[in-house]
Amino acid sequence: MASPASILLVGLGGAGCAMVTRLSAQLPGEVAVALLDTDARALAAGGPGANLQLGRAQTRGMGTGGEAALGLASAEAEEPALRRLFAGVPVVVLVTGLGGGTGSGAAATVAGLAAEAGATVLAFATMPFSHEGERRMRQANEAAAKLGQKCHGLVVVHNDLLLQQVTPDAPLSESFAAADAWVGGALRGLASAFAPGALIAVDPAALRSLLATPGSPTLFAFGAGQGEGAALKAARAATDCPLAHAPGAVAKVASLFVHVAGGPAMTSTEAFEAVAAVRTRFGGETSTILCARLEPALGDRIEVSVLGASLPAPKPAAKPKKGAKGDDPAQPIFEFATEESMRRGLFGGTPMTFIDGQDVDVPAYIRKAVRLPPSP
Amino acid sequence: MTPKPLPSLIAVIDIGTHKTASLLGQVIDGKARMLSFSERRTEGVVKGTVTDLEKLTHCVHEVVNDIERGSGRAVEQVYLSLSGPAAEGERVKGFIAVPAHDGKVTAKDVADAVASAKRLEPPAGRSTLLYMRQPTMLDNRAVGNPVGMTGKRLEVNFWRVTMEEGNMRMRVGMVNGLSIRVRDFILAAHAAACATASDADKQGGVLVVDMGAGTTDWILYYKEHILCAGSIPVGGEHLTNDLSVALRISRETAEDLKQRFGSALHRETDVNQTIWKDGDKGVGDQQFNRGTITQVLSLRYQETIDFVRKDVLRRLEQIFPGHAVRLDQNMIPSGVILTGGSANLADAAEAVQQVMGVSARVGVPDFENESLRKPEYAGVVGLMTAALADAPPPVVRPRGFLAQLKALFRF
Repeated sequence: MASPASILLVGLGGAGCAMVTRLSAQLPGEVAVALLDTDARALAAGGPGANLQLGRAQTRGMGTGGEAALGLASAEAEEPALRRLFAGVPVVVLVTGLGGGTGSGAAATVAGLAAEAGATVLAFATMPFSHEGERRMRQANEAAAKLGQKCHGLVVVHNDLLLQQVTPDAPLSESFAAADAWVGGALRGLASAFAPGALIAVDPAALRSLLATPGSPTLFAFGAGQGEGAALKAARAATDCPLAHAPGAVAKVASLFVHVAGGPAMTSTEAFEAVAAVRTRFGGETSTILCARLEPALGDRIEVSVLGASLPAPKPAAKPKKGAKGDDPAQPIFEFATEESMRRGLFGGTPMTFIDGQDVDVPAYIRKAVRLPPSP
Repeated sequence: MTPKPLPSLIAVIDIGTHKTASLLGQVIDGKARMLSFSERRTEGVVKGTVTDLEKLTHCVHEVVNDIERGSGRAVEQVYLSLSGPAAEGERVKGFIAVPAHDGKVTAKDVADAVASAKRLEPPAGRSTLLYMRQPTMLDNRAVGNPVGMTGKRLEVNFWRVTMEEGNMRMRVGMVNGLSIRVRDFILAAHAAACATASDADKQGGVLVVDMGAGTTDWILYYKEHILCAGSIPVGGEHLTNDLSVALRISRETAEDLKQRFGSALHRETDVNQTIWKDGDKGVGDQQFNRGTITQVLSLRYQETIDFVRKDVLRRLEQIFPGHAVRLDQNMIPSGVILTGGSANLADAAEAVQQVMGVSARVGVPDFENESLRKPEYAGVVGLMTAALADAPPPVVRPRGFLAQLKALFRF
């Protein structure tokens, strides 16, 4: 009998299900898969593992048509089934695309239920392309804020960034493949970390201690290297990983989880070198959990995945006292940089300005998905 | 004998997102001579929109105090510049059938046509700030002055600028708080054009793009008249912001790097050219790839110019529906004139040439004071030129002793 799955990979909504389905082929046995969607056809198309159709009564098997409220109601209606799904699972990885109806509406609820069931919840959320317009972006931003409160770790993947990773004339599938490579690499890393037979082994509880507090800013990076000095190349690729450099990503974190996987040729010296390189870039002063394992299939290739978390930003004061002065928007308030404020920089607190359906306060190079020359 | 008119004072204030500049001049023989100038960092304006009235009011009061102290004269009325998306422009027209039997147009007919144009109410909640003359048409022919000519249908056109009432009252109230009246509003892009474009430019056709810190205002002249104008809520601050996000540096550093190493064009030779932030290579000095800087800035700059191009074409289509209007060298033989602080970005004119496909140059205001001969001062210098041309201050005649005595006791 197979050992009980230590990680449950949940795809939520159209985008999430699509990504999970693409990933499921390359996942190790420790990862169980579940697909959640309101669109019956998307689920019927197949996919491995447990499938759960949300909101049978609300949507009658159709999608939500981009209505977040409908997505929320659909998830709430399936609460008992979701609780059963999450019962006894130590780690839940939720993959979803924000901006649409099911993802934006249901993500926070699903993550909340999983957390209540006692699981450590790590969410990967993709944000819509800038070209998808104001409404989806707003919906996605609201959903990301809510989701961040509910799950232990949240990694936001900007679709705009995906475009920057490939040459302008590359087919669309290539940029999605790049996203799959990152998330898939991380999941493989996470999953195999807990499997027996690692050079330096950890158990799922390590991840729990890393992502102990809900709502903590999460750092995620993945890199691979091949040939001579593969470990350092992989570490370099991980530190240069666009996910870690996205505007709004966390630059330094307190706790790090570094997973190094390589072929039989990898030595522990190499593994430690890679970890040291990652640490100089990302911090990890409080604790660094190292995990290394040999995978013959990798050959002379070495993969480094990094997951990190800091303490969450303090909550804003609930209510100003009576008679106290109201919020002065022009007053420079000391606050932690948020996803939104970092992406829009100095215009973080100002209303969005739309021209041709794009928020023009977001830097042009991000919207046009142009890859910048590397820094010296 | 009529008493000789006193030289009257003319004061202009240009409130921008980054700086507020004010100029006080004296009108002598129809020309303005500068008496004093003041410039302060604007506070309370973001992207051309007022966010903190208290701070902005304070800032305006400071510049007024500065020019009063600098000249020793009291300012009684000012001209305010008008920029940003708050001021919305549109074309209004009025026409009459020429009543005379022989079809001769009289001055009264013109006045009637003008009145019929101005009778058109602005959209609810907005009030009209200014009208700018556009070509007068007599039987669909453009004529300079129709009086005395013959025709059947007389049509007058104006470019009307309206603003939300509350917004306008706020701006007027800000100045009134100093016991100063607002004499008139002047479109900032029009002012910039008055300072930098010659009559010959306007006669042929010219597009003036005034790219300030928060907004990019443009105005299109065709056959001497203003054809249309508009504004894009993107400016030099967006250039700085893009750089600060891309390189993860402070706004001040980004501003500095933009001025020293920035360019509106990205060249292959910039890539892998390493530049130092301070240059002393000491502690705290940072090195950057110059290619990153020019790439980020050129993308934003060229995109903004493209937004302007699209906005111009959109306006032109509204004015000439059904015509395929092209913004090319035939339409604007004098090309594009760039003013405002962002015109200082290196290669700005070349980038505009590439994006718009017409010739472009950086406009430097022609002014007596050398320190103001910079593109960023085109607005404030032009305000004075435009004020004199469009709505000169009233001529003050010296009053007799009795009249002065009466004024003393009049409350």
